[in-house]
Amino acid sequence: MMVMLALLNRVFTGPFYARNAGTFLVLVLLAFGFLSANEHRALIMAALGSPFFLAIVFVLWGLYLLKTVSFVWQELHAPEHLFLQTFWLVSTPKRVVLWLTVQTALLFPVLLYGGWMLQIAVQQGWWNLFGAILIFLLLLIGAGALLADFRLRHPNPDTLRLPHVSIKLPYELFFPTYWLRHEPLSLVLTKAFSGLLLAGVCRLYPTDDYDQRLLLIGLLIAILGHAQVGGQVSAFERKYLLLLPNLPLSWVQRLGRYALTYGLLWLPELLILLRNCPEAIRLDYVIWLWLSGWGWLLLMHSMAYGYEVLPERWLSGIIAAFVVGLLLIMFGLPVGVWLVLGWLGAVVVWYWSFGRRNGTEVTVPQ
Amino acid sequence: MLSVANLTKAYNGVTVLTVPELHLLPGIHYFRGGNGSGKTTFFRTVAGLLPFSGTVLLENQYEINRDPVAYRMRVNYAEAEPVYPTFLTARDLTSFVGKAKQSPAGQVDALAELLGVDTFWTKPTGQFSSGMLKKLSLLLAMLGTPRLVLLDEPLSTLDVATAARLFDYIGNLRREQDTSFLLTSHQDVSLTGLDITGTWQVSQGVVTPAL
Repeated sequence: MMVMLALLNRVFTGPFYARNAGTFLVLVLLAFGFLSANEHRALIMAALGSPFFLAIVFVLWGLYLLKTVSFVWQELHAPEHLFLQTFWLVSTPKRVVLWLTVQTALLFPVLLYGGWMLQIAVQQGWWNLFGAILIFLLLLIGAGALLADFRLRHPNPDTLRLPHVSIKLPYELFFPTYWLRHEPLSLVLTKAFSGLLLAGVCRLYPTDDYDQRLLLIGLLIAILGHAQVGGQVSAFERKYLLLLPNLPLSWVQRLGRYALTYGLLWLPELLILLRNCPEAIRLDYVIWLWLSGWGWLLLMHSMAYGYEVLPERWLSGIIAAFVVGLLLIMFGLPVGVWLVLGWLGAVVVWYWSFGRRNGTEVTVPQ
Repeated sequence: MLSVANLTKAYNGVTVLTVPELHLLPGIHYFRGGNGSGKTTFFRTVAGLLPFSGTVLLENQYEINRDPVAYRMRVNYAEAEPVYPTFLTARDLTSFVGKAKQSPAGQVDALAELLGVDTFWTKPTGQFSSGMLKKLSLLLAMLGTPRLVLLDEPLSTLDVATAARLFDYIGNLRREQDTSFLLTSHQDVSLTGLDITGTWQVSQGVVTPAL
C-alpha cells in the first residue's frame, strides 16, 4: 500500500504543486505579504461571524477542489499515465483510502487554513461553526476522492464531452479547441477573470474622475491573467503536434498563425470593451486598447513558446512586468506606445528566438 | 543526397548522438540498432525537429539551418509512435500539412485511398487504433514533393495489405521521382521488397556502416 501511495504521490501530488508553484507563491505573497497574522485572525473572526462571508470562503475552497480534481482527471487521461488503469483492480476499500490520502495531500493548503479556522472556533467556543467547517473540509476530501475514482472507473477521451462537429478545422483553431475540450476550467477561469475585470473597470470609470490610465491598468491585469497561455500552447504543440517543426513555414508565417489564434482568443474582450465602453471614452481608443492587448498577448507567447520556463521564474517576470507596467501607466505612457511596444516586442522576440537560426527550433522532449 | 557533418545532439548536457561525417547516396537507406540507440533522435534531428550543432545538407544545396523553409519543403518525416490532438480528424491534419508542404492536386485523395485513411477520414483521431494513427502519419509524410522521406518504424502496427501497398508506392517514388528514403525497423526489412542502397548501424548515438 505504501508503494502505491508513493507512486500516486509522484504522479499527482508532486506535479500538482510543481505546476502550481507560481500560483501558490502569489497567494502566499498576497496573503502574508500584505496581511499580518493578526489581520488574518481578524479576517477569520469576520468569516466565523458572518454566514455570508463563511459561504464565500467555502466557495473559494470548492473552486480549489475543482482545480485539484481537474488536475487528477487530466493526468488520468494522459497517455503516459494509462498504466494507472490497473489501479482499478485494487480492492475498493484500499483504493478509496489511497484516493482519500492523495486528495488530503492535494487539499493541504485549504486544510491548513481550515485548521486555523477550527482552532479559533474552538477558542471562541463556537462549536456549531467548528462542526460546519470540519464537515465541509471532510466533504471536500471525500468529494475529491470520489470524483477521482469515478474518472478512473469511467475513462473517456474528452474532459468535456462536446459533440464532434464535422467541419474542417483550420490550424488557428487547434489550440482554442484543445483548450475548450481538454482544459475547460482553465479557459473559463482565464476568460472570466479577464472579462469581468475589463467590464468592472469600464463600469467603474464613470463613477469618479478617472482618466484613461484606469483602463490601461485594467488591460494590463487582464493580459497578465493570460500569462500562462503561451506555455499551454507550447505544451500542447510539443505533445500533440510533433510534426510542426518539420513544416516548411518561415518564422513570419508561424508568428502570423499564432497572431490569428491569439486574436480569436482575445476577441471576447473586444466585445466586452465595446459593450461596456464608458461614454467619456472614444471608440477608437477602445480599439487601440484592444489591439495593444492582442500585441502583448503575442509578446508573452513569443517569450514562453518552446521554453521550459520554471514557474517561479515566470511568476517573478509577471510580477516585475506588473510593477513596471503600472509605473509606466501612472507616468502617462500613452496607449499608442503600448501598442507599438507590444507588437514590435512580439516580432523581435520571436525573430530572436526562432528566426535567426532556423526559424523552427523548439525543444522537443526526448 | 544527404551530408551530415560534425553533428552533435545533447539533452541537458549529455551527448546522445554524434555524427562526425556521414554521406548518404540517393536511394533507400536502412538504419538499424537496439532500443535507445539513437535512431529516432537522428531521424528527428535530420527532419528539423530538434536543435543540434553541426550541419545537415540536402542535395549539396539546402542546409537545414541556413535554408529552413526550402529544406523542410523537401524533407518529410513519419514518427514511430504518432500522437495527434484527439479532436482532430485526418481531414483537418492533411489539410494543414498538405497546404504547408504544397501538396499537388489530387495527391491527398490518392494517398488516403492507398493507405485506407479515406475510410476514417472525418473520424476524430481519439477514436483511432494505433494502426490507423500509423497510416495517417505515413500519409502526412508523403505529402508534397519530398526529396527525402524519413520513416521511423513504418512496419510497426501496420497491417500486411497496407504495408505491401505502401512499399510498392515507395518503390515507385524511388524509381520515378528519385525520392530517397531513410528507414528504421525492428522487423525484417527484406520483407518490404525494397532495394536497399545502404545499411547503417546506430549504437550508443554513433552511426557506422553496417558490416
